Amino acid sequence: MKNRCKALLTAAIALLIVVSFVYDARDARAEYGDVVLNNYSDAAGMRPVVFPHWFHRVRFRCKACHTDLGIKFKAGGNDINMVKIIDGQFCGACHNSTVAWSVENCELCHSGKPGTPTQVHHSTVNLVNPPASSAPAQARSRR
Amino acid sequence: MNVRTLLGSAALLFTATLAPAAELPDGKALYGTYCAGCHASGAAGAPKVGDAAAWEKRTKKGIQTLYASALKGTGTMPARGGAGSLSDAQVMAIVNYMVGASHTSGSAAQPAPAEARAPAKAVPVEARVAPARTPDTGAGKTVYQMSCAACHTSGVAGAPKLGDTSAWASRVAQGMPALYARAIKGTGAMPPKGGNAGLPDTEVRAAVDFIVSQVRPAAAAAERTVVAAAAPAARSSDAPAAEQPRVTIARALEAPAAAAPALAARPPSGAGDPNAFNRLWSGSAQRNPPPLEDGIHDPASAGTSALQPPAASFDKLPRAMAGNYVNWVGALSARQIQPRWEVKAPGDPTVMDMNIVREVKGTMPDVVFPHKQHTEWLDCASCHPAIFVPQKGANRMSMASIVMGQGCGTCHGKVAFPISDCRLCHSRSKDAARTASGR
Repeated sequence: MKNRCKALLTAAIALLIVVSFVYDARDARAEYGDVVLNNYSDAAGMRPVVFPHWFHRVRFRCKACHTDLGIKFKAGGNDINMVKIIDGQFCGACHNSTVAWSVENCELCHSGKPGTPTQVHHSTVNLVNPPASSAPAQARSRR
Repeated sequence: MNVRTLLGSAALLFTATLAPAAELPDGKALYGTYCAGCHASGAAGAPKVGDAAAWEKRTKKGIQTLYASALKGTGTMPARGGAGSLSDAQVMAIVNYMVGASHTSGSAAQPAPAEARAPAKAVPVEARVAPARTPDTGAGKTVYQMSCAACHTSGVAGAPKLGDTSAWASRVAQGMPALYARAIKGTGAMPPKGGNAGLPDTEVRAAVDFIVSQVRPAAAAAERTVVAAAAPAARSSDAPAAEQPRVTIARALEAPAAAAPALAARPPSGAGDPNAFNRLWSGSAQRNPPPLEDGIHDPASAGTSALQPPAASFDKLPRAMAGNYVNWVGALSARQIQPRWEVKAPGDPTVMDMNIVREVKGTMPDVVFPHKQHTEWLDCASCHPAIFVPQKGANRMSMASIVMGQGCGTCHGKVAFPISDCRLCHSRSKDAARTASGR
C-alpha cells in the first residue's frame, strides 16, 4: 500500500513535470489576431474572454471600435469590466441586444481555457516576450 | 477474454459516462434532438437504433466510414441528418452513441471479432486492425470506438489523432508504461480514462495498444511476421518481404476512410520524426482551426461549439499567404465584406490617396506606405498623432521596434497582415546602382 502511494506520487510529479515542459505557445493554434482577455476573469472564476478579431473585422472597420469607442490598440490595455459593459462602454456599445446579442450569453465570450494569459494570438510580441504563465490553473489546461 | 461481455460492459460504460463528461458532446441527447426522427422508427430505410443486425453491416465497414456517411449523408440521409449546425465532433458523438446503443441490445450481432478472421489474402479492413497479436487488440478497438474515438479520431482539444504517425511517435517513444499511465490518469485536456472513469485499467491498456498498433506499421509488420512464422502454415523465410507490401496496401486502404471527415484531413505536424518532410512546418491544413480545436477555446465551455469556425467565413474571401490567410484589403475593395464604418450605421470612410515612401537602409526595397488602403479601415485620428506624428522625418522606425508592437507593429503582426509578408511594405525597388553599392 505504501509502495503504491509512493509510486502514484512519483507518477503524479513526473506527469506534472512532463506537462509543464511539453506545453509551449505553439500548441495554441487560435486564429491570427484573436485576443485573449484575462485581466479579471480567472480571479473571478470565469473563463478568460476570447475576442475573435477576424469575426469583428468582417462586420466593422477598425475605426468603429478603436477610434469611436476608444478601445486602445493593446491587449489588456483597456480596463474593461462587466459593469462598464452593462453601462454601454467597450463591448457593451453593441452587445446589448441592439446591434449584437446581449451580455447574458456569458459563455460566448468567456470561452477560453482557464489560465490562458492575456495576449494577441500569433502576435510578433509573443515571439520575443512569451505571455506570462502564472495562474496555477494553467497546469491543467496546458499540455 | 469474452468479447461479448467486454463489448457489453464497454457499451454500458460508454452510455453511462458520456453525459457527465462535460468535455464531450452528449451523443444521446443530440441523437434525441436530431436523429431520432428517422433512426428511432426506421423511417426512409434508416437503420433503427437497437437493431443490432442492421448496424452490424455498417460497423463492419469501420467507424470512419460511419462517421463519413453521417457527415456527408448517404442514401436518403442528408449530410449531418439535415442539421447543418452540428459540429463534426457532435455528429461523431451521435454515431458513437447509436453504435453503442445498438450493441447493448444486440445479442447475436456483435461486430465480428477481428481475431476470428484469418489474416487472409484479401486483407479485409479489420484484419489490418487486428493482426491476431492478442485478443485484446480487437477488444482495444472496441474500447477505442466507445470511449476514445470522439476526440482521437478528429483531434479535438489537441488530442493526437489515430493513425497520425508523427503525432504519436514522440509519445510512443516514451514507452508503453508511460502511455498507459497517461491514458489512465489523464493528461492535458484529456480526463482520466478519457472521461470514462468506470473503464477497467486493462481495457484502457487495450485501447492504447490498439491506438499504437495503428501508428507503428513497422512494429506491426514485425509482429505480423512473428505471427506468420509461428502459424502452422508457416511461410518461407521471405515472410518479411511479403509482409511489408501488405502493410502498405492496408494503410493505403485506410487512407481514404481516415481522410473522410473534414476534421481528420489535417496532416501530421511532423513533430517527433527527425526525418519527416518539413519537420517544423505546421502545414496548410492546420490553418484556421475551428474553435473546438484551436487550443485557446475551452472545449468544456458551452459557448465554444456555438461559435462560428473561421474557415466558414474565409472560404468565400480571397486568400493570402499569412495571418488569417485572408486578403482583407482585397475582400473589402471587391465588396465581398461590407464592414460598418460607424458602430450603428454603415457610414462611409473618407479615403485619402497619398503614398509615403520611406527609404530604408540595407538592400531591402524601400517602403511605400499607402494612405488609401489604411483610410479604408481607419480614420486620421486612429493613428495620428498618437502612433505617428504627421510630419515627414518625425517618426523613427525599425523592424525591431515593429516586432515589439511599435509604429506599424501596433497592428501589423497582430491583426493586420503580419511582418512575414515583407514585400507588401518593402515594395519599391531601389535602383540597381544603389543596391550594388550596398548603401
